Amino acid sequence: MPALPTLQEIVSLAVRIITSRTFLEIVFFPGLLNVTLSAALLTWLERKVIARVQLRIGPLYAGIWGILQPIADGVKLMFKEMIFPELADAKLLMLCALSLMLLAIAPVVAIPFGEGLVIADMDIGLIYVFAALSLFPSVILLIGWGSNSKYSFLGGLRSLFQQVSYEIPMWLSVLGIVMLTGTLNLSEIVKAQQNVWFVVPQAVGFAVFFTAGLAELERIPFDLPEAETELVMGWMTELSGIAFMLGFLAMYTKLYLMSALITALFLGGWLGPSILPGPVWFLLKTFLVCTVMIVIRGAFPRVRVDLLLKAGWTRLLLLAIANIFVTVVLILLGLGWVWRV
Amino acid sequence: MEPLSSYLVLSSALLGIGIYGLVSKRNAIRLLFSVELIVNGANINFVAFARYSSPPILSGWNIVFYSVAAAAMEATVGLALILVAFRLNGTIDVRRLNRLRG
Amino acid sequence: MPDVAFVALSVLIIGSAIFALEAKELIYGAVGLAFSLIGVAGLFILLGAEYVAMFQVSVYVGAVVVLILFTIMLVRRESGRIVEEEEPGRLGRMGAFVAGLVALAVAGAMILLVPVSPEAPELHRVLLRDIGVSLASSYSVALVILGLLIGATVIGGLTLAKIDREKRTDGTAQ
Repeated sequence: MPALPTLQEIVSLAVRIITSRTFLEIVFFPGLLNVTLSAALLTWLERKVIARVQLRIGPLYAGIWGILQPIADGVKLMFKEMIFPELADAKLLMLCALSLMLLAIAPVVAIPFGEGLVIADMDIGLIYVFAALSLFPSVILLIGWGSNSKYSFLGGLRSLFQQVSYEIPMWLSVLGIVMLTGTLNLSEIVKAQQNVWFVVPQAVGFAVFFTAGLAELERIPFDLPEAETELVMGWMTELSGIAFMLGFLAMYTKLYLMSALITALFLGGWLGPSILPGPVWFLLKTFLVCTVMIVIRGAFPRVRVDLLLKAGWTRLLLLAIANIFVTVVLILLGLGWVWRV
Repeated sequence: MEPLSSYLVLSSALLGIGIYGLVSKRNAIRLLFSVELIVNGANINFVAFARYSSPPILSGWNIVFYSVAAAAMEATVGLALILVAFRLNGTIDVRRLNRLRG
Repeated sequence: MPDVAFVALSVLIIGSAIFALEAKELIYGAVGLAFSLIGVAGLFILLGAEYVAMFQVSVYVGAVVVLILFTIMLVRRESGRIVEEEEPGRLGRMGAFVAGLVALAVAGAMILLVPVSPEAPELHRVLLRDIGVSLASSYSVALVILGLLIGATVIGGLTLAKIDREKRTDGTAQ
């Protein structure tokens, strides 16, 4: 049996890990600190932008421009008592809320925030992010069912149907990009946009992906699982305290990472004129996409549930296939070299 | 690097657990769990052999693609059958679902 | 020194599998199955089969487990849980005995009879291009058959699970 490591070896190993680049990337940028701060910032940004759209002001008192509002919300939620209904499965709900947050953070390891600034440069980065996104419906279904309330269960079912229906147009709409670059590696996809960003030749794909992304995030106009006038808070109704904070933050983390993915896939990632460093461009573009999504929330009514599902299965699917045809035509016209890495 | 036999033992263990579930469980959905476990054991086998042979056989991966897809199909139809059986009989206990009814 | 990742993943897979079969609540069993399948995907990554691992996660855990959960939620009686009696101890013990025998025989046969060297050869990157080419050329027939199979499954599943709401005027349900 090999000798147990001495204390000095353990300490030196720990120091080597902590000062290694990967660990710093995971904890600070583009990892945990970046994601949680951005998610908190997005809650503030949403309230401010929606307020301006609705001719209000939004959070005002917690710090300058109300910027400390997310901290105030977080502290309040952490001190609140976690009340679960008697017949609801409290352990299951806590476990699911926690895994919701973990799943929401999971895609960050594959998204490149700058040249070489990616935690894990995976050859399968794109389908890794999609696989992480495909795990959400089951967790939400468990939360909805575990709340032991008809309305929460209905919210969970609606969310499940919606997310599953819009997964397929989402997968198909990026097929054009994969055809043009021949790789699933997100860093390579960003580098391939050096001449022209993919939003130009793949405009249809961009529209489909953006719409499907809105549906995956359960944002208005695809807000049905959280229909405030009907289901209270949908599947999140029975969560309270820390469990609610985890679920709520998970939604905004998902919003941030979905916008980051859209930036990397369609808007050229960290590419931009060198007056600003790459990561700054990336963050600027990501927050621009987030703001557009937030403004859409303020501007559109909610889509009815059957029209929502029909749109996902028929119209968006056909548009995504049309995008594939457009890409094939592009390649046959000999324009494939523009995006060759 | 783990020797190949560890992976084979793991997949045989999954096979064993699946057979135990198939033999001794009453709930039709637990039988489905057992079948899925057996199929996963077989998939691990395929990928392990594909990795450990020289030159690495990549058709092992292709077979696993089809195996996963076909198992998903089988789970779909199996669950639909369980739903229908429940609607007609009010139970999914396989020891009671032993009469053919019109 | 045994590989820590392999040991951890094996414990996850086998432990979740046993939990999936022995949990009192069926929903917990489904969650255990999901964990077991995620462990298998991790094992695929350990074996260098990344595409297969992502495929497994998105198809098995993302779709099949959802289906199972959904079905479990639908086959409940109005009063609550499914009434599941304890299986007779004799059948459980016999099942374990048969299973152990079969597993031992299969493992022994594989390890002793298959002439594969125990050491792993070099792990080289598999390009997406190679997988695509092989799917389109060597395995194209299988792909088409799989497509037809998926179509047949969806149609069959929907037909089976459909609830007859309309009855015709002559009283027959269709």
